[in-house]
Amino acid sequence: MNQLNELHIDALVEIFSIGAGRAALSLSEIVSDEVRISVPSVQVISTKNINSTSLSLSCGPFGAVTQHFSGPFNAETVLLFNEEQALKIVSDMMGSQMSLGELAQFEHEAMCELGNIILNACLSAMADVLNFTLESSLPHYTVASADEILHRLKKNANQPYVLVLHIDLAIEKRSTAGNLVFLLSSTSLTNLVHHIDHFLSNFA
Amino acid sequence: MFADSSIKKLLIVDDSKVSRMLIRTHILAQHPDWIISEAISGEEAITLVDNDLPDYCTMDINMPGIPGTDAAERILAKHPSIKIVIFSANIQEAHHKRARSLGTILVAKPVTEKSIVLAINYFIDSE
Repeated sequence: MNQLNELHIDALVEIFSIGAGRAALSLSEIVSDEVRISVPSVQVISTKNINSTSLSLSCGPFGAVTQHFSGPFNAETVLLFNEEQALKIVSDMMGSQMSLGELAQFEHEAMCELGNIILNACLSAMADVLNFTLESSLPHYTVASADEILHRLKKNANQPYVLVLHIDLAIEKRSTAGNLVFLLSSTSLTNLVHHIDHFLSNFA
Repeated sequence: MFADSSIKKLLIVDDSKVSRMLIRTHILAQHPDWIISEAISGEEAITLVDNDLPDYCTMDINMPGIPGTDAAERILAKHPSIKIVIFSANIQEAHHKRARSLGTILVAKPVTEKSIVLAINYFIDSE
């Protein structure tokens, strides 16, 4: 099932760490302070086996930014953060003293922007390192419960694999953990592995 | 017999095997006679440097154990002759400043021929 070996995972962690570094740079310029984003782990699991534990969906609701990427492989990507924690981070991003209630009015745009920065930084790092081009759709933001998210992720039989990145994000004194989920078809996963193999073959 | 002074010893410090492979390959493409060793953590690097002093060192920041910048600080305090380049995906100004304060430079990942040239030029220009 899992076509990725230890070296593939090592390469992906390194690629997504570069993406996280780019996202942290962009966000640090917005908040004028140091931002820490790290990708402590990457794993590939069967879509039918994902559950609230594998996605750390312990207490919700969750904010989900969805974006489609297409190119040598296609992926539906979903960035998941606990909504309340994400809103506090968005508050820091907007540099205001707004209450969470007031901030909720801007939640959609701000979360799309946060998601857009992180998703595109990760995907552009992958495209640069593996030397291909990916096109992206506009980000879409929804708030959902853990059950709704899991139902949505599992319903598409054409995407039997999920690539899960665990993301730790800290801005100023706030920190949160989230997940970036790639829904992949068998063909897309095979194509991704092929591109990683090609990249690694230059340095073996 | 005198050792050939153009042959340099480089220590690569990175927890990612892929990154170590990339740095090694790019360096050897330009300097095939350099002697390269590797460490997967800051702690291991400190021990290796004490045992066999390299001329140059590339240092990742985010690794299990102590951060690479802390390891670089400890190494330079004891062995100020080593030239260290911090190779990191974390490219915020705070990290550039920290690197400069240590007397090193920060070169942004990904590891490419271009970023390796920056590192090599820094090593050689510092001689």
